[in-house]
Amino acid sequence: MSTVDNSVSGAVPGAPAPRRQPAWLKLWPVQALLFLALLVAVWAVTEALNLVIPAYQGQILLFTGINVIITLGLNLITGVTGQLSLGHAAFMAIGAYAAAICTVSLHLPFALALLLGGLVAALFGVVLGFPTLRLSGDYLAIATLGFAEIVRVVNTNLKITNGAIGYYGIQKRVDLPLVAMLAVAAVAAMAWLENSRNGRAMRSVREDEIAATASGVNTTFYKIQAFAVGAFFAGVGGGLYAHTTTFIQPTDFGFLKSVEQLSMVVLGGMGSIAGTVLGTIVLTAAPELLRFMSNYRMLVYGATLIVLMIFRPGGLLGGVDLRDAVRRALMLGRSRTVRTSVGGDGQ
Amino acid sequence: MRRLSAKGFLALLLVAAMAVSVAGCSTGSSSGKSDNGPIKIGFLGAKTGNVAIYGLNGLKGLHMAIDEINAAGGVLGRQIQLLEEDDAGQKDQATNITTKYVTADHVAAIIGDPTTGITRVAGQIANSHETVIMSFGSTGTGVVEIGPYVFRDTLLDAIAGPAMVDYAISKKGWKNFALVTSKNNDFSVSLSSIFRDAIKAKGGNIVVEESIQDGDTDFSGQVTNIKAKSPDVIVFSGYYTEGGLIMKEVRKQGLNNVVMIGGDGLQGADFWKLGGEATEGSISYAGFSSEQASGKTADFIKKFHDKYNEDPELFAAQAYDAIYIIASAMKAANSADPKVYRDKLAQTKNYEGVSGTITFRENREPLKSPVYLLQVSGAKDPASAKFTLLDKVPVK
Repeated sequence: MSTVDNSVSGAVPGAPAPRRQPAWLKLWPVQALLFLALLVAVWAVTEALNLVIPAYQGQILLFTGINVIITLGLNLITGVTGQLSLGHAAFMAIGAYAAAICTVSLHLPFALALLLGGLVAALFGVVLGFPTLRLSGDYLAIATLGFAEIVRVVNTNLKITNGAIGYYGIQKRVDLPLVAMLAVAAVAAMAWLENSRNGRAMRSVREDEIAATASGVNTTFYKIQAFAVGAFFAGVGGGLYAHTTTFIQPTDFGFLKSVEQLSMVVLGGMGSIAGTVLGTIVLTAAPELLRFMSNYRMLVYGATLIVLMIFRPGGLLGGVDLRDAVRRALMLGRSRTVRTSVGGDGQ
Repeated sequence: MRRLSAKGFLALLLVAAMAVSVAGCSTGSSSGKSDNGPIKIGFLGAKTGNVAIYGLNGLKGLHMAIDEINAAGGVLGRQIQLLEEDDAGQKDQATNITTKYVTADHVAAIIGDPTTGITRVAGQIANSHETVIMSFGSTGTGVVEIGPYVFRDTLLDAIAGPAMVDYAISKKGWKNFALVTSKNNDFSVSLSSIFRDAIKAKGGNIVVEESIQDGDTDFSGQVTNIKAKSPDVIVFSGYYTEGGLIMKEVRKQGLNNVVMIGGDGLQGADFWKLGGEATEGSISYAGFSSEQASGKTADFIKKFHDKYNEDPELFAAQAYDAIYIIASAMKAANSADPKVYRDKLAQTKNYEGVSGTITFRENREPLKSPVYLLQVSGAKDPASAKFTLLDKVPVK
């Protein structure tokens, strides 16, 4: 893993502030308000864009947004915490079915259904988190694969999911502004999580579990937490997916879906939020952008993957950190990057 | 760190470039609904992936029909232009394409998807944009219920299943049925419930019900249970691979005079390749057969053979009919605007298609006649075995 990691040493206590920030900016209510303002701004902008962008391109953007939310969850599990998961689509399936059942059978409001979908998925994330205490690497990958198969088979046989026939009659509730807002919120939440003490602990689990334990990091806790949070994101994404396509089947969330999501994370750059977002954009848009090649479309898609991985083995943005860019733009708190770049300005 | 931020900037640029190129590949919006220029028809189906065979076969029928129509002067004096996009059997891609067809290309109709699942997804979008969509393969429930613009021209399992059961009980005198379902196959699960209701309604008994999974290869347990109840016939709602293997096991366990009946899922050469002689005499139904054809169908088969050097199958025939039904509705309404010709389309009655006579009922569900019952013959030699026409059951 060649990710440039500056966050572990990010908060050096007592380091001189490079640029004076107003004290009120550091208050959490102010930051929360700023964050809300950002979300509202995103909503307003996409609402306006929605009028301009043709529906087809809007639809692609919408799926991209949903996939971003899901792959950010996988990035937390696999990229940040280093637990290779081949069963992320299972969490998406759980969230999709849970949210769909909530709105269709239980007549719950859509927002609550999305949240519940995410929470149910998170619950299963905790369940799957436990094997990770004993397994690692390839062995864990096989266990997650097995978990995904179990979820698929259970969904195929349960009555409440309507079995193999699939769950239909879901109302279309998703539009671009909603997805854009949630995707931005997901990026911000991930950036905040990864840059916190919690996130640094997760990274330490990835870098060296034994050393992390020796330094007093409760690796069990952080691994299960990564699975829970990652699954939550996948669950919310699944709920959005179900309310976009209006019809879901167990086969929609098979092994290939998990591999596709892992490809997005790996292609973008494991452990990098910006990379994950970019990888997801590329792999979601590629099948549509390549339509002019008609029958050679999927061939070129595969070849593109191979070529990219040969020339960028660390992923497209392996080593690039979106968090610092966001911080600089919003002047939220301090990080070493700010210091360095400000120092650079002074030269 | 400066380098990193430069990279970050580059990344943003890339994202922006991506967004612009996505936006840029809009195909303009010359309307198919306008009164001049070609009438645009969108094909929706898989050209790649697991279910590509249905889409590709459908395309053959579509191309043939459109060539014929255009050679004869087109519809309302306008040529038909077919747009072909591949949905790869994926719901998200199908969503994208359908959106493109109805909002950017302004197609007059969408023909597809051959599968029930994707038709449910695409139907929702087409219906909300008041564009006609006609599936040439979906047979499951929850399709035409979506709304007034969703159609299909297939032989419904809900019509063919009971016809098959009726034939088994009244013509063959079978009373005791063993019903086998493949639990992880959506088609099989819904067909089994149709068979179950039909058997009960027509006075048969289900003496044993067993379930299997697609992909299973050992059916000794299920067959032992079936043998214990000594049924007259085995009803299997799944696909040919498992069907062939089940029959092989049935003969192995000494159940010698029981055959299998089922839906069109049994129609594949692997049925007798895997089952061998055990499949001799097994019966399945279909909405199309290239045997003993007459009139329009015979003509279609000959022309199809000339063009592609193979016999047409169900999906090609139904896709061929789909475009002709829409074309005749356009002629009747004197308009290619789906909002206008939809009413005429819904009133289609006794249309003589190559895959049978088609009437749309009040709820737009197709009533197709006849149901073709096909029987496996010559299974002793898998190379020359085939389905021969057993009976044509008219449906009223």
